[in-house]
Amino acid sequence: MIRKLPKPLDEPRVLIGASALLAIVVVAILAPVLAPHDPNHQDLLQILVPPFWQEGAEAGFPLGTDGLGRCVLSRLIYGARVAVIVGSVVPIGTVLLGTTIAIVAGYFGGKIDWAVSRTVDVWMSFPPVVLSLVLMVGLSPGLRNVILATVLVDWTRFCRVTRGAILGVMKLDYVASARIAGASHVQVMLRDLLPAVFPIIITLFSVEIGIAVVVESVLSFVGVSVSPAIPTWGSMIADGLVTVFQEPWGLAFPVSMIIVTVLGANMLGDGLRVRLDSHHATRLGADL
Amino acid sequence: MERDTASALAQPPLLEAVHLTVESGGTKVLRDLSFALPHGRILGLIGESGAGKSMVGRVIANQLPPGFAVSAGSLFFETDDLLALPPDAHRKLLGRRIAFVPQEPMSALNPALTIGQHFAEHLARLEVPKSDRRGVTLEALADMRLASPERVVDQYPFQLSGGMCQRVLLALAFVSKPDLVIADEPTASLDATTQVHIIGLLRNLQSKYGTGVLFITHQLRLAAHLCDDVAVLYAGEIVEYGAAGTVFRRPRHPYSRALEGANPRFAGPWRQLLSPPGHMPGLNELRDLAGCRFAPRCASSTEACLAETPALRVPAENVAVRCIHDNAMPATEPGVVAPVRAVTDAAAVPLLQVDNVFKSFQGSGLFTRRRKNLAINGVSLSIAAGEFVGIVGETGSGKSTLGRIVMGIEKPTAGRILLDGKPIGDSTADWRRRIQSVQLVFQDPRSALNPRRTVMRLVTQPLQATPQLRPDLENRAAVLLEDTGLPADVASRLPSQISGGQCQRVNIARGLCAMPRLLIADEIASGLDVSVQAQILNLLLRLRRENQIALLMISHDLAVIRYLCSRVIVMCRGEIVESGTTEAIFASPQHPYTRELISAVPPEDLSRRWPLPA
Repeated sequence: MIRKLPKPLDEPRVLIGASALLAIVVVAILAPVLAPHDPNHQDLLQILVPPFWQEGAEAGFPLGTDGLGRCVLSRLIYGARVAVIVGSVVPIGTVLLGTTIAIVAGYFGGKIDWAVSRTVDVWMSFPPVVLSLVLMVGLSPGLRNVILATVLVDWTRFCRVTRGAILGVMKLDYVASARIAGASHVQVMLRDLLPAVFPIIITLFSVEIGIAVVVESVLSFVGVSVSPAIPTWGSMIADGLVTVFQEPWGLAFPVSMIIVTVLGANMLGDGLRVRLDSHHATRLGADL
Repeated sequence: MERDTASALAQPPLLEAVHLTVESGGTKVLRDLSFALPHGRILGLIGESGAGKSMVGRVIANQLPPGFAVSAGSLFFETDDLLALPPDAHRKLLGRRIAFVPQEPMSALNPALTIGQHFAEHLARLEVPKSDRRGVTLEALADMRLASPERVVDQYPFQLSGGMCQRVLLALAFVSKPDLVIADEPTASLDATTQVHIIGLLRNLQSKYGTGVLFITHQLRLAAHLCDDVAVLYAGEIVEYGAAGTVFRRPRHPYSRALEGANPRFAGPWRQLLSPPGHMPGLNELRDLAGCRFAPRCASSTEACLAETPALRVPAENVAVRCIHDNAMPATEPGVVAPVRAVTDAAAVPLLQVDNVFKSFQGSGLFTRRRKNLAINGVSLSIAAGEFVGIVGETGSGKSTLGRIVMGIEKPTAGRILLDGKPIGDSTADWRRRIQSVQLVFQDPRSALNPRRTVMRLVTQPLQATPQLRPDLENRAAVLLEDTGLPADVASRLPSQISGGQCQRVNIARGLCAMPRLLIADEIASGLDVSVQAQILNLLLRLRRENQIALLMISHDLAVIRYLCSRVIVMCRGEIVESGTTEAIFASPQHPYTRELISAVPPEDLSRRWPLPA
């Protein structure tokens, strides 16, 4: 589709963002190897142990324990698993749903476009967190439903931005050219429209990674996400909040993990946007 | 620096280039350029794209693109060498004593500033006291014969037409009463009738203030009428330099003759256009050209031409030629033949009929009142197989819309389109029938090419709706590229890597790929150089001979229409105001609008005054 893929890795933001995300993925995959303890194992004799650099730290718990005596490090490592799954599946879902609807609406225009645009308008006027909470209550907890709810809430963002870009492309004659060259509607959408908005999709995709992780954490925090047996950063924040005055680090660690993930995703998206937008090849000696 | 003692004793010319050479990466992009522009005269720099004519303006403005530098020679502005002048002193000259009129009037003005603010900025630089600025502005605009300067002052560029913007830019250029004005294709993007006004204004101002003008253009006829002297540029060299009349009445250099032979005439007998083979050498090819740079394309080139670079000779009074051959050599005059016109069978069913078509655009405001805008108002026409029909008219006359309706990209508000006598409906089968018979070449060449497809995949696009073998596509592409005069190596490039003229030829090649029976050509020749244009026009004539292709040619260039078409339709504000055979319409136009269009064409006869003073 894009023949001359530029060297996006030249861009430091891309490099930093991608490395951060990659590190989290590796940690999630290797969780059973890396984690020193079972994340759900409660050692009630060792509750609220501070991290290793503080007085009273225990050698077995490098980042300390929470109010139930569970190893914070192990829970952080296992919590990355849900984050990675949500952070990879949700963007794919939103891209597929949002882009498809946007391309169809932008290409056919008229009543279809009007209907889609108004639906998006109404959809976006609901506060996203409230909407996903309502959906989760209706759908019952579980990882699959968390993903479904997030996709259903977030596809509108994709749809609106991509539709705008498609409308810009539709003003160019090459779409009509493709039609009179005999291409079917589907061929025009796949060969001429999709590649044109590809840079935007890539950018939105990486931003969506961060958004998905945050939304999942919010749902976990409230307790309507996955089952309580699965450690997530959101539920760790909820637990850490209870004991924040005795042991603030239980709150700080999961929050910083979320920050690192979102920052990494945003930097990746920002860097890719810069790289992909300015990839126009220049002609040597144009207009002497 | 060597300068003639004779010219040093007399008043020095306003602008003089002495052996000016610009290099980029060791390649001489401009080679040994010498010309002189006396005070109060107009010097035309003529050449096709890639000849280096705009580079001269850039040297004067000290705005060479990165990687380009003057490597030899000098450029005198009166007695100052512009190249040796300190940047401060040079900048002081620009906008005060040297002014520029740009090519694209719309993009040269800041859309966020009113016309008055543009003037205020410029006048502040010229140190005109604040209280006088509005008066000076109004006076300058009144000079441009703008209907109501008081209103224009407070308007923004987007509220003005292209012609109005160009008038504003002319006024801006002349407000400092400069000694030298550099006009780089100032009318290239304007309608012919607007061009006449701008050229008339430029000449008035020039004679009023005694300004010297460097007029850069690719239009020979225009330069012949406007300029005192002309320099014909080819591949960065002046190949012929002399008094405008002499050069045009009797071009001596083979390239000047080739240009003349490729230029369709608007008067006199119909003659076959001849285009020199090959194309203007690009930057990469210049390096390998030994001897005369035109030799590879020249019909009369010999061994000696390749041996060394020819010097400018002076074979007669007032003219210098860079060619080693004697000018006594007979010019290969193009044969005067009867116009190639199609033989059409009047009794047969026309290929295409447009039956009383209307088209209105309406604003789609939910709460505002919908305003109807009638773009096409009851147009009917028919085209027979193998017939070439021209539609002429200015911007906004609805001719492009009509082309899009025939193609089926726009739906008519009322009326029918009939192909082979059968109306075309909305069904998929009818759409197939339509695109198999009719193809459209779009006006804007870049916008019509998907920037992510290579040229090879673009020209063969009509074949790709069904799966094809790559070698088949490559073979078809190779034939199409050759037909349209594109070098074979562009096949693997992207549209952003080829020139605008080449983009246009890619569009034409794509239109012809599946060999339609009717080609709608929307201003296809306007972005092309004359030699390429001649090649394309002859290609169309050949395709008619071989394939009975019909053509609906939308154009503002009457000479092109006259060369190709047997019938002409004149459109004005969405209506056909006049139609008939080409000969009849151009010989005795009946409608005043047609007469206006015809009077905008620079006449063949140089002794006739053109443009007529308003």
